[in-house]
This record gives sequence, structure tokens and C-alpha cells, in this order.
Amino acid sequence: MAVVAARSRKAKEALMAYAMLAPLLAVFAVFAYYPFYRLFQFALFQKFSNSDEERFVGFQGIWDNLSSDEFTSGLWTTLKFMLYTVPAGLVLGVLLATAAHRRLKGIKIFQTIFSSTIASSVAVSSVVFLTLINRQSGFFQNVEFLNLERTGSALRGVALSSVWQNIGLTFIIVLAGMQAIPEEINEAATLDGYGPIRRFFRVTVPMISPTLLFLAVVLVVQALQAYAQIELLTLGGPQGSTETLLYKITELQSRTDLQTGASFALGLFVLTLLISVGQFVMLNRRVHYDN
Amino acid sequence: MSQVTFTHVSKHFGDSIAVDDMSLQIDDREFMVLLGPSGCGKTTALRMIAGLETVTSGDVVIGNTRVNDIAASDRDIAMVFQSYALYPHMTVRKNIESPLVARRNGRLNSTERARRVADAADVLGLGDYLDRKPGALSGGQRQRVALARAIVRRPEVFLMDEPLSNLDAKLRTQTRLELVELWRRLETTFIYVTHDQVEAMTMGSKIAVMTAGKLQQVGAPQAVYERPANLFVAAFIGSPPMNLLEGVLETTQAASVPGGRVPVANPASVAAGAAVTVGVRPENLHVGGSDVEATVASIELLGHERNVICNVGPARWVVRQGAHDAPLHVGDTIGLGVDPDYVHVFDTASTARVN
Amino acid sequence: MTTEPTPTTESTPTRRWRNLGWYVLLTALSILVLFPVYMTFIRAISGGAASLFQKKPSLLPVATDWSSFIDAFREGNLGAPLLRSLLVTAIIVVAQTVTSTMAAYAFAFLEFPLKKVLFALIMGTLLLPIEVTLIANVQTMFDLDLINVTDPTFGRTLTALTIPFLATALGVFLIRQGFLGIPHDLLDAARLDGYSDMAFLWKIAVPVTRPIVGSFIVISFLGAYNQYVWPRFAVKSNDYDTIQIALRNFLTDNPNQLNWGFAAALIAAVPVLVLLLVFQRQLVRGLTAGAVK
Repeated sequence: MAVVAARSRKAKEALMAYAMLAPLLAVFAVFAYYPFYRLFQFALFQKFSNSDEERFVGFQGIWDNLSSDEFTSGLWTTLKFMLYTVPAGLVLGVLLATAAHRRLKGIKIFQTIFSSTIASSVAVSSVVFLTLINRQSGFFQNVEFLNLERTGSALRGVALSSVWQNIGLTFIIVLAGMQAIPEEINEAATLDGYGPIRRFFRVTVPMISPTLLFLAVVLVVQALQAYAQIELLTLGGPQGSTETLLYKITELQSRTDLQTGASFALGLFVLTLLISVGQFVMLNRRVHYDN
Repeated sequence: MSQVTFTHVSKHFGDSIAVDDMSLQIDDREFMVLLGPSGCGKTTALRMIAGLETVTSGDVVIGNTRVNDIAASDRDIAMVFQSYALYPHMTVRKNIESPLVARRNGRLNSTERARRVADAADVLGLGDYLDRKPGALSGGQRQRVALARAIVRRPEVFLMDEPLSNLDAKLRTQTRLELVELWRRLETTFIYVTHDQVEAMTMGSKIAVMTAGKLQQVGAPQAVYERPANLFVAAFIGSPPMNLLEGVLETTQAASVPGGRVPVANPASVAAGAAVTVGVRPENLHVGGSDVEATVASIELLGHERNVICNVGPARWVVRQGAHDAPLHVGDTIGLGVDPDYVHVFDTASTARVN
Repeated sequence: MTTEPTPTTESTPTRRWRNLGWYVLLTALSILVLFPVYMTFIRAISGGAASLFQKKPSLLPVATDWSSFIDAFREGNLGAPLLRSLLVTAIIVVAQTVTSTMAAYAFAFLEFPLKKVLFALIMGTLLLPIEVTLIANVQTMFDLDLINVTDPTFGRTLTALTIPFLATALGVFLIRQGFLGIPHDLLDAARLDGYSDMAFLWKIAVPVTRPIVGSFIVISFLGAYNQYVWPRFAVKSNDYDTIQIALRNFLTDNPNQLNWGFAAALIAAVPVLVLLLVFQRQLVRGLTAGAVK
């Protein structure tokens, strides 16, 4: 009898759990898992505009798309965008956090100012940057390095607005990482005779390295998802030089383009997956190091 | 009636055995202390009474009811946790009232609840703090709230899991007395878990000593102190602990040990020549005897008395002396004398007491 | 913002000079961070086309014409998109909080078959942001008639804007972490007190983890309010734009009235700015939850 009671208790608990998960799983089923499946469906079949006919193109078809110039140029632009935004974001975050992580009167005000760009959406920060780098009226309209109308520099201009928008986020995260370092460690390092600069590189940076890794991943993912700043600042131009993968995908939504668009989306997924796995591996290695 | 009975109770966590075939009778209105080192199974035993752990085998009976399959909230018990487990977002009043409002069946009406809360708060002197939150209370006050939350249910059995361990030393001594007074006043059964033998000795009407999941000895504190049933209990109870030394039983009157001969009384059930361990409490040794030879290694002054730590053969013994006894010096060789009536003899192999 | 380095022992004048140095640096960095906003503000109040396209842009306002804020609000019809954005955001935040809390409860406190598999599946959706699944989700919306080019009603649009975001793995992760941090004794005490599952969840677990739930709400708000990609493709009528898209459309429709666009950008940031100032602590905690052990 006791066994029966225990078993029914377990069944009740499981039922309760599934009921609690049901709403969430329903949303994910329709808007995450099913579309993922659909991406494959779109990518594996070529549709034609003039008929209901579709042709199976298989993984070869996906691969053809992923090895096309269109995809590789998008991938290259995306990677360049990452290269412009991620290291700059990390350095700025560390710089601002180092400056603001000290006991001074009124430091809260500076901390609030440094955090403030988080209030601006991608769209807002893109508009804000028009006042700086718009070729007709921007304050820096003659700075060729950020010229939005030249193929070599346009992406840098777009990236700069993203770097600025991310300042608040990177500052908050790095500052929290620094505040989590036990004060005794800094004191011990000082007593050991480390000067401020050596202490920064030998103690602070290693101690916040997991934070920086997390932040790097956040910034990389944001770079992969960059869209509004491109649409508002360059519309992908000049000559497609600022068309990132996502931007290209959004342009491939008509019925006949779906096969290409879905292939690109799967490429974007694989890129996201690789970066996440990379983070996981690196974090695990660090845990082993700690032990 | 609120006696609690364990009948051949075991609790396994996977492959490890937390409580091993424990049989224990806790009488109505007893203050039973479950005493043992950490990991000995005492807390697990308590949690089985509470219903927070299932019973692997055997029966747990509260009153006349086997409770193995009764949910924790349906048992007539209340529990005070080591961390007090107060709800941080509720006021003291709400915390105390919580057991009365949480269960849906047999809920009291609000006037009756308010009266019960007021009573409980009154008993523990919490009247002025009812509208504060736990975060605004001192450790001692939080402990009282936890007690009030327990007594508000008016349970037949109170369970307490190291409730004093988060208090400072002074408050702990004071609260010990208050808990005993509370027990007298409520006239119910207390089951109290601790690793602190001073708490066990000072509060328990009975103590049950456990180690490695097994019950070692049950009895009144003084009886356990005076006649520990085995080597573990002998070494665990008493501070400083009992002096022990392995030797051989020469005759029925004496055992030879490294450094001398210890007179013993009435060793039953072992023959001359058997390997035994003799034990003498520090207060039962006197300097100037001729039974055992010792070298003074260190002296601890405690003000009203002193502990002389000396090497006896391979062992370290402690001798308790009055503060004004003739002074000794580190390195002195001294003779120690014992009264055979105060010598405990244990079978070295089985660890059981033999006299 | 708890610990700051303790000042080392040094003479007061030295420290005073050093502090002054830090203030200078902090002020310079503040100017750098705020400069783009300052310029936007200056441009917004500097009047219309003529002043905007001058060859030498000035650091100071060439005019103080506050009307561009009013004009932008009126000409751009920003009131309705703002309200719509707030409505969409409110629906998403409430729904995400409820679905995440319930799922987090199951993962933190209940035992059930396939628990690990389901958790992995849910966390896996972090690899499938709306940007990746965009094409497929737009098609699904067409199939469900939630995107309808010829008849984009408010109800359809509102549903399309919210329904894919009624659940999020991030919320499950954060709130589950919070639940797992509740001391074991507290769970046992609640069990002895006799709380039912639901009563325990809403009366004990959620209030005890309020800081974490609060942080999640702030992050959820930021994400929902600032969305761009999905509304851009899910809304088929300018009548139902969210504020971010309205800002874009207003800007591209008025290339010669950039002062309006700049004013509109500042207006669009106001709700989040208010949120930031009020809930700074929760925001910091939420954003750093994954970053600091």
C-alpha cells in the first residue's frame, strides 16, 4: 500500500510539473522548434514562382548556397562587424569600469552616466549617430575613416554606433565583475609589492576573465543579430558592403528566395552554435583550472 | 500521548547508509537529545520523524500511529531549524501565523489565530517585535520567532535541529536554560539534535548517542557519563575527554599498560590476558600516585583549575588539578594514582564496556 | 556597487591631487559617452533644414527651437506607437514572467521523467533567436493569418507582435537559479507548515526571490521595448507600428527634417531612461547574473 501511495504521489508530482511547463513549451514548439524544422524544409526544397511545384535540392542545395559568394561576403561582413565591435566593446568596458571602480565622492553619478547608453535602443542609437557621421550634416562629416558612403569605411561607421550603444551594458557587466573581486586579494597584491599597473594585469584582468568571456559572447551574439543600425545608416550599401548575414536573410523572404534565405539562416544558426559551444568549452577549462 | 518509537528503522541514500537499524523509544514528555558527531545520522533520524525524509525500512510511530506514509504537514509535530528558516518577506506575526494559515483543512478562524499568535509571542517575549521583519531582528530574537512558530501549532512533539549553534556563546548558555523552562511549561515531548555534549548534558532528560548511523547508548545524561557503554561514547562525552590507554588484563584486579599498572574493578566476561582499553576521566586522576608514570608535556591554566597534559606511554592524558595544587613544570616526571572504582574497562577488539 | 578599493595610506595632499586626476578622467570619459546624445539634443533644437545642412556643424545650438519636440510628436504621430509599444511590452513582460516562473518552479522543486531532456531543449532555444528563425516564423504568421497584408487589424498585429515572445529560456534560467538559492531549511519549514504547490510558489518562493524576478522583469522590458527586427517584418501597416519602427519610418519619410527625427529618437528613449533611473539596481543584477559567479 505504501508503494502504491508513493507511486501515485510521484505521478501527481510529474503531472504538476508538466502542467507548469506546458505554456512555455507550447510557445517554443510553435515559434522555436517548428520554425527550426521549417528552415530545413525550406532549405531542402526549391520552390518556383509560377507553379506549386517544388524540387528537392537536398543538403547539396544548402551547401551550394553556403558556398556562394553572396553567403561568404555576408559572412565576411558579419565577421568584420564583430571584429570592429567586440574588442572595442571589451576595451571600453574595462576602461570605464576601471575608472569608475573607486571610492570617490559622487562616483555614483559617473557610474550612472556610463550605464546610461543602455537606455538607447539600436534604432535610437543609430539615429543619434546620424548627428555625428551623416555625410551631409554630421559633426564628423569629413572624417573619411567613418565615411558611410564609401565601401571601405561604411561598416566602421555602423559599428561605431553599436559600440557606443553597448557602452552601458559592457560597463555594467565589467564593473560588477571587478566589484566581485574580494578586497583582500587586491590588498595582498599591494603588500606583495605589485604596482597599480602590474596589479591590473596580474590580478584584476585574470580575476575578471570569466566576466570578459561572458561579455565577449554577448557582444558576438549582438553582432550576429545586428540589423537596425544597418538599415538606418546605410541600407546595406554602398554596393552591399554593409550587408551582414542577417541583413541578407531579411531580403530573401519572397517565395522563390526561401530556399536561399533558409540556408543562410541555418548558416547563421551554426555560427551561433559554434560560438556557444566555444564559450562552454572555455568556461569548463577554467573550472578545471580553479580546481 | 506523544511517545515516538523507532522500530528497526534504516535510511539509505543510494549506497550510503545514514541510519542503520535504529530502535529507540522516546517517552511522552521526554527531553530526548540525539547526540553525535556530524554525519552520524542524528539529523536524518529527526527528519524521518518530521516526515522530511522517507523511511527506507522499519517503522516510525508517533503516539499510536505509524507515520511512515503520512505527509509532513499532517503529523502532529513542529520543528525548529538550525538556520531558523524564517520567511524573510513576512513580518514576525505572519511568520508565527504561517503554520496556521498554510494548511487548508482544519484552518482556524482569524480571531482564534490571532489569539494563538499573541499567546506564542507572549511566551517568548516577542510582543514588541510582531510587525518587524526577520531581517531587522538579532540572532537571539530570530531564534525566538522560530520557537514561537513551532509552539503556535501546539504540537505533541517538538523537533529541534541544532537550534543554538548560530548563537554566540553567552546567548547559548542563557537560551539553554530557557529551552528547558519552555519544555517544563509545555509538558510535551522535545527531541533535540546536537553535536555539543554540553548541550546534551545540561538539557536532556535522556540522551541517545549515535555514530555512523548506529545508536550507541541511551540513558540519563549522568548515567551515560558515568558508565559509557563503549569506547566511542567514552571518548565522545566529557570535556576534556576520557583518558584511554590500551593494555592487557593481568588479573581481575589490574591491567598492565605502557608506563605502569592500572587497578580495575569487576571486569566481567573477559579473562586474564585479554587485550583491554582502560579509561580514566581527568578528574579521577591524582598527581603523586604510583600507578602510572607520566611526563608533563604542557599545562593549561583555566583560572579555577588547571589541566595537566602529560605523556603516558604512547598516549596523551589530561589530569585535572586545583589551581592551587603544588605547581608542576613541563618535563617533570610524575606518578599518577587512580581509584579502581573510577576506571572504565573496554574490550579493545569489540570496544564494548566490560566492567 | 558594494566594494570599492580601500585607499592606500598616503599623505592627504597626494591623495587630493590623485583624486583630482581621477575626477578629470571621469569627467572626460563622461563627455565622451554623452557627446552623441548632446549633439542629438543640440540638433533637435537647432531648427529646420537650413541650419541642419550647414557646412560647419557647430558644438553649440544655432537656435533654441523647442518646437521640434512637439512637431515630431505631432507630425510623427508618436503618441500611438509609444502606447502600442508599452502595451506590447507589458503583455510580453507579464507573460514571460508567469511562464518562466512556472517552468522554473518545475525545474527547481519537482521531480519528473525527462526533466534533464526538457531543460536542455528549453535552453537550446537560446540558440534560436528570432533573427535565426525569422523567415520561418514570418511564414508561420502568414499561415496563422496573424500577418495579413490586405487586412492588418490591430488584433492581428498585436498578437503577431507578442505571441512568439510569451516565453523565454533566459527567464527560466534566471528564476530557476533564484529558486535553487532558497535555503533548504526554508523549503522544509514550508513543507511542515503545509503549503500546497501553488501557495508555496506564489506566497514563499516568488517573494523570497523577488530581487531576481525583479531583475528579470527589467531585462524583459528592455528587450521587448527595444525590439526592431521582428516588428519590422511582422507589422504590415504603419497604423500599427511600434515606436522603434515608427521612429525609422518617420526618419526616412522626412529626410529634410532631421531635427524632427532627432527629437523623435530622444522621445523614444524616455520610457527606458525612466526605467533605468528607477530600477538601476535590478538592471545591474539582472544583466550580470550570468557574468559573475
